[in-house]
Amino acid sequence: MKNKKKLLLEIKDLKTHFFTEEGVVKAVDGVDFEVYQGETLGIVGESGCGKSVTAFSILRLLDYPGKTVGGEVNFKGENLLKKTEDEMRKIRGKEIAMIFQEPMTALNPVFTVGFQVSEALMMHFKMSKEEAKKKSVELLKKVGIPIPEQRVNEYPHQLSGGMRQRAMIAMAMSCDPILLIADEPTTALDVTIQAQILDLMMNLLKEFNGSLIMITHDLGVIAEIADRIAIMYAGKVVEYADKKTIFHHPLHPYTLGLLTSIPRLDMEMKRLNVIPGMVPNPLHFPSGCKFNPRCRFTTDRCKKEEPPLIKIEEGHLVKCWNLDKVEKEVKKGFLVGV
Amino acid sequence: MLSYIIRRMLLLPIILIGVTFLIFCVFSLLSPMERLATYVRDPNTLKSSQSVERLIAKYHLDEPFPLGYINWLERMVHFDLGWSQTANQPVSDAIKQRFPATLELVLYSIIPVILIGIWLGVISAVHHNDMLDQTIRVTAIIGWSLPTFIFGLFVLFIFYGILGWFPPGRLSAWAQDIVYTGHFNSYTHLITIDALLNGNIPIFLDALRHLIAPIITLSYISWAFLLRITRSSMLDTLQKDYIRTARAKGVDEHTVIHLHAKRNALIPVTTIAGMMIIQMMGGVMITETVFSYPGLGFWAAQSAQQLDYGTVISFALLFSTIMVIGNLVVDLSYALIDPRIRLG
Amino acid sequence: MNRILKKLFSNATSLIGIILLFFFIIIAIFAPAITPPLSDDPYQIPRMSWDINPQPPGSPMSDDMKEIYEFLEKEVKWEKAICGTAEGGYDIFYGLIWGTRTAFKIGLITVLLSMLIGVILGSISAYFGGWIDEILMRITDIFLSFPFLVAAMVLTTVLGRGLDKVMIALISFGWMGYARLIRGSILSAKEETYVMAAKALGVNDTKIIWKHLLPNTIFPVMVQATMNIGSMVVTAAALSFLGVGAPVGYADWGQMVSFARNWIIGSSGHAGQYWYAVFYPGIFIVLFVLSWNLIGDTLRDILDPRLRGEL
Repeated sequence: MKNKKKLLLEIKDLKTHFFTEEGVVKAVDGVDFEVYQGETLGIVGESGCGKSVTAFSILRLLDYPGKTVGGEVNFKGENLLKKTEDEMRKIRGKEIAMIFQEPMTALNPVFTVGFQVSEALMMHFKMSKEEAKKKSVELLKKVGIPIPEQRVNEYPHQLSGGMRQRAMIAMAMSCDPILLIADEPTTALDVTIQAQILDLMMNLLKEFNGSLIMITHDLGVIAEIADRIAIMYAGKVVEYADKKTIFHHPLHPYTLGLLTSIPRLDMEMKRLNVIPGMVPNPLHFPSGCKFNPRCRFTTDRCKKEEPPLIKIEEGHLVKCWNLDKVEKEVKKGFLVGV
Repeated sequence: MLSYIIRRMLLLPIILIGVTFLIFCVFSLLSPMERLATYVRDPNTLKSSQSVERLIAKYHLDEPFPLGYINWLERMVHFDLGWSQTANQPVSDAIKQRFPATLELVLYSIIPVILIGIWLGVISAVHHNDMLDQTIRVTAIIGWSLPTFIFGLFVLFIFYGILGWFPPGRLSAWAQDIVYTGHFNSYTHLITIDALLNGNIPIFLDALRHLIAPIITLSYISWAFLLRITRSSMLDTLQKDYIRTARAKGVDEHTVIHLHAKRNALIPVTTIAGMMIIQMMGGVMITETVFSYPGLGFWAAQSAQQLDYGTVISFALLFSTIMVIGNLVVDLSYALIDPRIRLG
Repeated sequence: MNRILKKLFSNATSLIGIILLFFFIIIAIFAPAITPPLSDDPYQIPRMSWDINPQPPGSPMSDDMKEIYEFLEKEVKWEKAICGTAEGGYDIFYGLIWGTRTAFKIGLITVLLSMLIGVILGSISAYFGGWIDEILMRITDIFLSFPFLVAAMVLTTVLGRGLDKVMIALISFGWMGYARLIRGSILSAKEETYVMAAKALGVNDTKIIWKHLLPNTIFPVMVQATMNIGSMVVTAAALSFLGVGAPVGYADWGQMVSFARNWIIGSSGHAGQYWYAVFYPGIFIVLFVLSWNLIGDTLRDILDPRLRGEL
C-alpha cells in the first residue's frame, strides 16, 4: 500500500515549550508525522493538545515566551529550525502558507482586502501595485467571492464571515504555496459554509499538486478530506497512520476512544461513549504516559514509563504499551463507516 | 459615518450650553458687587449707590437666575467680556493682544510632543522589557512625575541662570523696539514667521531663542504621557492575530511594526493626543509664568492672583470653548482614520 | 491580592517607590516630634527672621525673632534653619516636614472623594443605561471640557485662598476619569453571564452593582487612583505656585516654591545663590509624586494579563 509519493514535510520529535512564570508548559513535546506531496494530513485532537502550536512551530511564528527546543522540521529535505529569519521569510507565504481560525481577527481592519491579498505578491514576486491588484481580483474571483472588483477595495468588516475566510484563502494561496496549513479554518463558520470552504481549499491545491495540513478537532471533516491522520494528545502525536488504518485498525486507546465517542445513527446507543476524565493541565502532567489516567487499558508500566514511538509498519506509528489489548478490542467488532 | 458626524455635531450646542451654564454658576458664587466690578472700568463709579443701582439694572444682576444666565450669555457671545483690571483694557482686547504669543508657543511645542512621544513609544513597545525599553520608560516616568513648574524652574536656572543661553520673555529689548514700533509688518503676529516674512533673520533667531526653553518645558510632560499611551497601544496591537497573519505571509519585521501594527495602534493614540494638546493649555499657564512669557497663560495667572474675576471667568470661557471644539475635531478625525467607522 | 503585593515588592521600580513612600509616611507621622510647632496652627511655618531675601542653610534665628517667641512663651527647639529660609524668613525645613502631612492630606482626601463620586456616577450610568447614561455622560463631558488646571484655578480664585478650597476645586474636576473608567468596565462586565445569572435569580440592582460588578471592575480604578494621588499633589502645588493655592506661610511644598521663582536666578553674578529655596521643596514634590507613580505604573503592568509570561 505504499505509494511512491514525494515526501514534502517530515516532523521528527518536535518539542516546543513555553517558559512562563508559573512553570514550563510543554505544549508540544514529541510530535512526529509526514506530509507527502499532493496529500492532506489531518491533525486531530482536543482543545489544548498542541495542534496550533505545532503549526506555528513549523513556520516559526511562536510568540514569547514560546520556544522550539528540539526536533526537526524537514521541509523539502532541509531543516527549517536551522534556517535564518531571512530565509524563513522567503518561505512564509511563498512556499508554506497558513490560514487561521478567526477570519475577523486574522485580517487587519485598517487595510483593504485587496491590499492584504496583494501584499504577499508584491513582496515575494516584486509585483507592482497595479499588477498585484489585478491578480488579487482574479484570486478573489477564484475563491468564489462575487463582484471581486468591488470587494477588493473593501475592508474586512464589510464582508461576511464566509467571505472573509475565502479572502484569507485567497491571501494564503496567492503565491501558489506547495504546502498550506489550515488551523481550524471552518470552526468559526456555519456548517453549510464549512463544506464549501473545504471544497474550495481542496480544489485550489489540486491545481498544482499542493499539500494540506488540516488542523481540527472535528473527526467528520477529517474523514472527508484527510489522506493521513496524526492524532495528538497532551503535546504528543500518539498515533499516525493513513485514513483507512486509523478508522478501521486504530491501535492507540485514545484513537479508539475518539472513534467510539462519535454518536451513531445506525446502532442503538443507550448512552454516549465518553472518554472519562479531562484533558490534563499542562503544568501538571501525569507521570508516564500522559493518557494513562483516562485509559481503559492502563497498566502499572503506563503510569511510570512513557511509551516510545513504535513503528507498526511503514507509515503507521503509535505510542503505547498495550497495542495487543487494543487490537483485540477492535477485532471484537467495531467499525466506523468510512 | 454620516450618522456619527451628525450625532457628534448635535452634541456640540448641548455641551456648550452646559459649559457656559457651569461657568455662570461659578461666576454667581461671587457677590453682586464683585460681579459688578468686572464690568466697570473705574472702581470709583462703584462708590455712589445711585450708579451702583443703575449698573445692577444694566447688567441684570438682580434678576432671577435663568434670566441672568441668558443675559450674561448674550453678552459673552457678543464678546462683551468686561474689563480687565490687570491689563487695564477690555478683556476682549487683552485676549486679542496676547493670543498670538501663546499660539506660537503651543504650535511649536506640538511638534516635539508628537514626534518624540510616538517615536519613542513605538521603540519602547518593540523592545519590550529590555534595557532600551526600561531606559525610555524611566525617562517617561520622570517626565510625568516632574511637575511642569519645577522642571521649568530647573530649565530656567540651568539654561539662563548658569548658561545664559535662553532668556525669559518673548523678545530681547532691541528686537522689541523693531517689532512693535519700527519697520516691521506683523502679518500673522507670530513673531518667528513674521520675522521670516520680513526677511529679518536676527529677529527670527532672537524670537526662537526665547521660545526654546518654554518649548522644552511645555512639551516634556506631554510627550512623556504620549509615550506611555503609544507604548501600551502598540503592545496591545502586537498581540493581535492579524500581526501573526502578516508574519505568516513573510512580511519583514520592519513593515509588520511600522505599517501593520502602527496604523492600528495609533488610532486610539490620536484621540488622546488631540485631547492632550488641548490640555497643554493648562500647562501653558505655568510655563508662561515661569518664563515671564507674555501670553494668555501668564496673564491668566496674574489675574487669578489679583482676583481679577472678569478676566478669570473669561478665561474659563475661552479655554473651555477651545476644548469643546477641539474635542469635536478630534472625534471627527477619529471617524476619518478608522475605516470601521468611516464605512460603518 | 498576595500575589500583587509580592510582585510589587520584587519589582525594582515599585520597590523604590515603596521605600520612598515609606520615608514620607514616617516623616508625616513624626512631624510634631521632628519639628514641634511654634504657633497654634501647626501648619503655619514659623519665621526665623524678618528678612525678605531667603537665607542660606544653617542660618541662625534672628535675635528679634527669638524675643518674639520668648514673649509668646513658645519654646524654640531649634536654633538654625537647616535648609535655610524662604522669602520672609520662613523656615524651609519646617515647611518640608509639615508639608508632608499636607501632601498626604491633599492626595488622599481628594483622590478618595473624587473616586467615590466618579465610581458612583459611573456605575449608575453604566448599569442603568438609557437616558440616565446619556445625561450623566453629557454632564461628564461638560466637566471634561475644562482643562484641569484652568478649572481649578478659576474655582480657587472665586472661592478664595486656602487648602480646603483647593481640595474642593480638585475634587470638583477630578472625578470624571474614574466615572468613565468604571463605566467602561461595567458596560463590558454587564454582558457577562454571571450578571445575567444573578438577575435571573432576582437579585436586586444595588446588590448586583455592589457585590458582583464592582469587585470585578474596581481594579483599574484603583490603579488610576494610585497614580492620581501624586498628580493631585502636583496640581495643588502648581496652584500655590501660581499664587492661588495655600496662603502665604502655610506648610505646603508648592507654596514654598512660589516665592522661589523670583529668586531662582539669584542676584546678578551670583546665579543659583538661592538654590535651596527651590531645591528642597522641589525635590520633595518630585520624590513624592515619583513614589506614587512608580508604584502605580508597576501595578498597571501587574494587572496586565499578557505580561504573565516572564521567567
